[in-house]
Amino acid sequence: MMMLRHVAKKAFLGLQNPMASPLGLGRRLYHENVIDHFENPRNVGSFNRDDPNVGTGLVGSPSCGDLMSLQIKVDDSGQIIDTRFKTFGCGSAIASSSVASEWIKGKTIEDVLTIKNAQIAKHLRLPPVKLHCSMLAEDAIKSAVNNYKEKQAKANGGVKA
Amino acid sequence: MMKTKTMVASLFRRTFRCNPVAAIAINSQTNLPRESLQHFSSKSLTTGRLQFSGRVFCSESGGERSSGCWNCGEKSAFLFCDSCRSIQPVDDSVDYFQIFGLEKKYEIDPRSLEGKYKDWQKKLHPDLVHNKSQKERDYAAEQSAKVTEACRTLTKRLSRAMYIMKLNGINVNEEETITDPTLLMEIMELREGIAEAEDSKALNQIRSQVQEKLKQWSDSFVEAFESQRFYEAVKCIQRMTYYERACEEIVKKL
Repeated sequence: MMMLRHVAKKAFLGLQNPMASPLGLGRRLYHENVIDHFENPRNVGSFNRDDPNVGTGLVGSPSCGDLMSLQIKVDDSGQIIDTRFKTFGCGSAIASSSVASEWIKGKTIEDVLTIKNAQIAKHLRLPPVKLHCSMLAEDAIKSAVNNYKEKQAKANGGVKA
Repeated sequence: MMKTKTMVASLFRRTFRCNPVAAIAINSQTNLPRESLQHFSSKSLTTGRLQFSGRVFCSESGGERSSGCWNCGEKSAFLFCDSCRSIQPVDDSVDYFQIFGLEKKYEIDPRSLEGKYKDWQKKLHPDLVHNKSQKERDYAAEQSAKVTEACRTLTKRLSRAMYIMKLNGINVNEEETITDPTLLMEIMELREGIAEAEDSKALNQIRSQVQEKLKQWSDSFVEAFESQRFYEAVKCIQRMTYYERACEEIVKKL
């Protein structure tokens, strides 16, 4: 029984962050994907909000006071050609938005609406207490797409009239 | 038969002094099993032998432990029994305001908490009960932790606001995402300002601005809460959460 636990612990440490200190035994560790996105976040920054091809999603989490901004640049065929994000919050929130910004690049605005928070959470191996971060990322994607669609509708409405 | 009647009468008198509701209940109870009382002699008529636990009869609201001290039976043992000096088990119906003897309202004087907190810990702290039973040491650990948690919750405005909402059945920490663009834009600009601030002077300036806002929204919360506009109250709390996070960020940077 002791052997099994010892082996399991070693395997756990091996699979998880190799940079974790030995004192991390038994503590919950960040998955290497999270650390990667936290230390090398992709697509940080912002676009000009007034650009007609830019959709801006701005969402917040009431429980922990996290703030996430996700912006998409969309071409005429409805494909997302570039993304930018800015997140104020914990490592998991930053990683979730970074992952989201990566995944939606190259997809159409309809396709990205099918991305689910569970997929992001699974990719980052988020613990239950951080699942709301992935939910926030999913909401940010939807918010950005909605904002883009609204802008398009207004622009088209203007042209028609 | 006469002995029984006097026994019942004295029991009634004694209980009535201590606990009127229980006494009335006992009175109605003793009408039925009258025969069983005949076996008890008047000498052994103590609350120990005839253990009518107040908890069974009373439907009391609030935090008063109706069953009294577990050790000596003293009726008014709130957290700690003053007559036999034993610590009581945690009663979940006791809320934090009761522990500090405060009214259940948002506006309190935080300075009043410190003194009462120290008084309680002088009686309840686990370090003081090393030579008592394991049961009492466990009670000490739980009560002391509860009092510490109570002090912490009531001291800070935000946690006090959330707690008082919780007492009214409204859970503020819903996982619903906020999408209010005005609020979020304001907070975004605030956080960006903090991130870009060059020196501690700029940071302190921002901090005082944020604390102004906190006070302002704290007042709005009181107003909304007292007028039972709970939806608005929740919004105030959400704003306060963001401002508090911003302050924490400033402190980290300083």
